[in-house]
Amino acid sequence: MENQEKMAASMLHRMVREFTENELAPLDMEIDAQGDYPQGLFQKVIDNGLLTMTLPREYGGAGFSYDSVAKAIHLMAIGNASMAVTLEGHFKTLEQLLKYGDQRLKDEYLTSAAHRIFAFSQTESSGGSNPRGIATRAVKSGDDWIITGDKIMITNGGLAQVYCVLAKTEDDQMAVFVVDQDMPGFSFGKREDFIGLRGTPVGEIVMDHIKVPGYHLLGQIGQGLEIGNNAHDDARILMGAVLTGIMEHELQIAVDYSKQRKALDTPLYELQTIQEKISEIAIARQNTELLYQHAAQLKITGQSYAQVAAMAKSYGSRAAVRCGDMALQVLAGYGYSREYPIEHLIRDARAMEIAEGTVERMSGEIALKQVNQ
Amino acid sequence: MKIVVCIKQVPKSDSVKIDPKTNNMVRDNVEGVINPFDKNAIEEALRIKDQLGGEVILLSMGPDGYMSSLRDGLAMGADRAILLSSRAFGGADTLATGYPISQAIKKIGGVDLVLLGRQSVDADTGQVGPIVAEYLNVPQVTFAEELRFVDEHTLYGQRLLDGATQSVQVTLPAVVMVRSELNTPRYETPVNIQTSFEKPIDVWTEHDLDLDATRIGQAGSPTTVQKVYAPKREGRQTVQLSDDSATAVKELLARIRN
Repeated sequence: MENQEKMAASMLHRMVREFTENELAPLDMEIDAQGDYPQGLFQKVIDNGLLTMTLPREYGGAGFSYDSVAKAIHLMAIGNASMAVTLEGHFKTLEQLLKYGDQRLKDEYLTSAAHRIFAFSQTESSGGSNPRGIATRAVKSGDDWIITGDKIMITNGGLAQVYCVLAKTEDDQMAVFVVDQDMPGFSFGKREDFIGLRGTPVGEIVMDHIKVPGYHLLGQIGQGLEIGNNAHDDARILMGAVLTGIMEHELQIAVDYSKQRKALDTPLYELQTIQEKISEIAIARQNTELLYQHAAQLKITGQSYAQVAAMAKSYGSRAAVRCGDMALQVLAGYGYSREYPIEHLIRDARAMEIAEGTVERMSGEIALKQVNQ
Repeated sequence: MKIVVCIKQVPKSDSVKIDPKTNNMVRDNVEGVINPFDKNAIEEALRIKDQLGGEVILLSMGPDGYMSSLRDGLAMGADRAILLSSRAFGGADTLATGYPISQAIKKIGGVDLVLLGRQSVDADTGQVGPIVAEYLNVPQVTFAEELRFVDEHTLYGQRLLDGATQSVQVTLPAVVMVRSELNTPRYETPVNIQTSFEKPIDVWTEHDLDLDATRIGQAGSPTTVQKVYAPKREGRQTVQLSDDSATAVKELLARIRN
């Protein structure tokens, strides 16, 4: 059985690698320049079943373990980090439905998760890392809930059809509800014009007295922050994977260039100053992979993984920006040119010093955990 | 429609190396993949099944390691697979491969269509398909770049040849060898990868088939490979002819005559 799981994971990774090399990597620069996925690309992702990777078999999914899926996200990010982040947003949300959802809600929604994308929305204009300050309200109305509020900076906002929404009840308790774009009162707001990960839609939803059935509540009233934090933890593992992919891309570009380019008669890779940069990128890439894989292993074996997931994202995002800068320096003038993708890889990586909790918040969480141990 | 797709596992092309001392292909630790043309054959079989219904059965001959390629074909969507595997089949040439393959197809029974890639990328002979067709005594279409059903018993095929195309029509059952121009093979999907482990791969030995034991394996092979070597890359002399075509023809003739 274990051998079968390994073989299946290896087949999945080869499939994702082929899909990425054929369908995503050739469009990487265009996606960045256009600030969106080209027409039909996301449909290809759906048609080839990539939304089903984590989804259990009973809901029509492939049911791969989180560590296998994280590796698939890593491989995809080598070719295009935006699409890898789009899948990260989908998978972290599915995890919360699976963990906290009522069976009726799962039967109704998870069976559509192979072709509908799911998103988790927490942030409001009052601030992303301050969930207690949110203004979105959930008011009980018989068996239903009436949700009113605006959510911004949602990964896949506008692309997703189903949203997990953090709201406050009348007695100021936090809760998460599943809201469908087809419900009356639901509308989309503006899409952010971000400097990196420009393919990934990040947008706003507006909820105007949306009536949500009672079974759309995830977990219990008062569990909202726990679910939000759990979603962050799940996302941070996959972000570590995305960042590993970005660093692998940076490394490939720097290594290839160092072999082709000569300084006087010496190939660049023979110069110690260049070797230092290449080795630093390689070490940081390896470290981030070990961190996200370790966090994924802790998760699938039922152990506490929040701390290591935070390390993967915090270390990985800072490292990927720094490594991008080093790779740029290897290519010098060409690295500074838009002709090469390094500048957009730096912009892509920079997003993850902010998304799913800023690195400053990560530092706080990691440090306090160490202090209080 | 019952379709058998014959596939071969070949070394992944970018991992093939030639031992400079022996000139033999280094096969240790080389990743095996489905012969690329055979993926076109699987894709076509799946499209026909999507259109007309039926069953797609993969058939291969080789050691246990070939299971991984059969599994890949199942992950593309084929229904089941059969591997002919036994020491007795080892060292077979194309004739001694085509013979047990055709006997296996007879054993499967009721097969309407046999699809293969136009040739394998490692041996490049393109002979097994025609041999299977001859043993089965059914029509064959080689180098197919287009296929469509005229009716449920008749298949139209367009053959792409060097500098020409040829249209043919065959009555089923038939054997068809496909070119890569025919289609683009689909990806294995995550769900199909998982379900591929629930689909059967049967292993048949020489004892499971009605065979003449003298016509299989190395002993049953009239040809043998004596040596495999990488062709020497020799720098060739090139001559630029004049732009004016009349002058160029004269120059060319002079060179040929001399």
